[in-house]
Amino acid sequence: MKNLITIGLPSKGRLKEKSINFFEKNNLKPTSNGGERNYFAQIKNLPNSKIIYLHAKEIIQRLGDGTIDVGISGLDLLKESALNLQNKIDVKKKLDFGFADVVIAIPNDWIDVQTVADLEEVSFDFRDKKNIRLRVATKYPNLTNNFLVSKGVTQYKIVPSLGATETYPFIGSSEIITDITSTGKTLKDNNLRVLKDGVILNSQACLLVSKKKTAMLGPFLNSLI
Amino acid sequence: MKSKNYSENIIKVFKKDGFALSKPDVLLDSDYIIQRSGENFRKSMFTFEDDTGKNMCLRPDLTIASCIKYLNDNTKVNTKIFYSGQAYRRSNNKKDKIINDQLGIEILGSKNKSTDDLKVLRTINNSIKKIKIKNTFIKLGDVSLFQNLIESLKIPERWKMRLKRHFWRPQYFEDLLNRLETNSDIDPATVDIDKKKFSEMENLNQSTEIANRKVSEILSRFDRKLKDPRSFLENKKIAGIIREFLKINCSIDKLEKTLNGFAKKNKLSESVFKDLSNIKNLAKINSKTIFLTNFGRDIEYYTGIVFEIYNSSKKEIARGGRYDGLLKSLGSKKNISAVGAAINLNNL
Repeated sequence: MKNLITIGLPSKGRLKEKSINFFEKNNLKPTSNGGERNYFAQIKNLPNSKIIYLHAKEIIQRLGDGTIDVGISGLDLLKESALNLQNKIDVKKKLDFGFADVVIAIPNDWIDVQTVADLEEVSFDFRDKKNIRLRVATKYPNLTNNFLVSKGVTQYKIVPSLGATETYPFIGSSEIITDITSTGKTLKDNNLRVLKDGVILNSQACLLVSKKKTAMLGPFLNSLI
Repeated sequence: MKSKNYSENIIKVFKKDGFALSKPDVLLDSDYIIQRSGENFRKSMFTFEDDTGKNMCLRPDLTIASCIKYLNDNTKVNTKIFYSGQAYRRSNNKKDKIINDQLGIEILGSKNKSTDDLKVLRTINNSIKKIKIKNTFIKLGDVSLFQNLIESLKIPERWKMRLKRHFWRPQYFEDLLNRLETNSDIDPATVDIDKKKFSEMENLNQSTEIANRKVSEILSRFDRKLKDPRSFLENKKIAGIIREFLKINCSIDKLEKTLNGFAKKNKLSESVFKDLSNIKNLAKINSKTIFLTNFGRDIEYYTGIVFEIYNSSKKEIARGGRYDGLLKSLGSKKNISAVGAAINLNNL
């Protein structure tokens, strides 16, 4: 169908709920025609549209390859993605939910380390005294690299992590971590502490649009509040 | 003269001066390099996974590739080598070349600093003459002068280390100087909270490790940090001295006079820049040699002299320098000094 708008929404959890709320608030109620687990939905009063529920990370990818035109996902995931992908996507609107920060966290007992500058010194100690690199476990290698290098921390090695990153420093897989946190509770419960100047990114949910479709979708997007 | 002729003639000079052909690997183990040189190196490397999941990269630099070969071959003696090949470097800047044709020489295991520095510069200069490029000029720097200056200043040891480490990152270095000036390093409020924690931790077994650091190590660094002398006025003056030093730019025959004048004006010890004979020696090569203190700040492994040779249209045609720490950081157990330089064929 010509001018069909394909919308990607997060398929799980609070982000899904709040994304649906956002559309409902705009008088656009997604309705599923299949079972509860159906990944497709329609919007009744927007006949030339369809909704696909996807993993939040995938929403970025699919905006990049043009499978979907509009989507809701986290700013952290957009900023972590490859540059050529980011160049294809516009942040149309920062939404009022999904607030969380990507931060650097260290073991609470490293009382001599308060700032990134301290971390930089310790990373050189690791190199000079132990002849190893400080290991940083993360789900965000790109954001972490850009941040650390910009702050003069260069003597480290990234350890890619898929989840439960908070455990890494205490099982010998890394010394420190970077991770996303909204309340800081998980970090605290796992004996970790955020560096004073250790916020890499303030993230929140965003309404994203494929750049190629910005013109075509202008009127629709501008109608959303 | 075509590029092939260029190479042949340059290689003739290399051989005549006693350098032997070395063929470093094109593919290198990228985890090995990152483990030793840090993650920031990755952005200039073309990396890929091989069939077994091992991370490999195209050599980003022939000096590094040559050093790795030297270590793998387990060479015990000092070697004078030359190479001819391509280096592959990733860049966000579209103007930068991805493939760089390089012809270069290295003295690995350099025993005599003064002789070897001169030898490398002379061989490179002669090979440029051989391919009939005239009216060249040289930009010269010496990283060790900066280090001598920092050593002579009255600032905490931690600050000395920091400033030396970050000479290579001019932008961040400027941040550091600003921080030194304003002394915005330690937050008294947190220190009080942590003092409590400090006494708690003193009762722990001092060799217990927390994420790879011993309790004793953490406590002693904490203690050291608090005891660092801090004086705001003094720091401001010192940042000024460093800034002034980095503006020095003079012809090489005026170097001694300029540096002495600088030291006297700022009441530095007379012996800060005591031994300049090594640098002055290099002036024999080309009378048009300019000395810059703010030079050689883009390649982290240089530790001594750094130079670039330009043709009459101000294009860089060769560069090199001394790198006494690189072999160790690439895994050598002992210190191995080295000096080398390469001609960039793409700019001829």
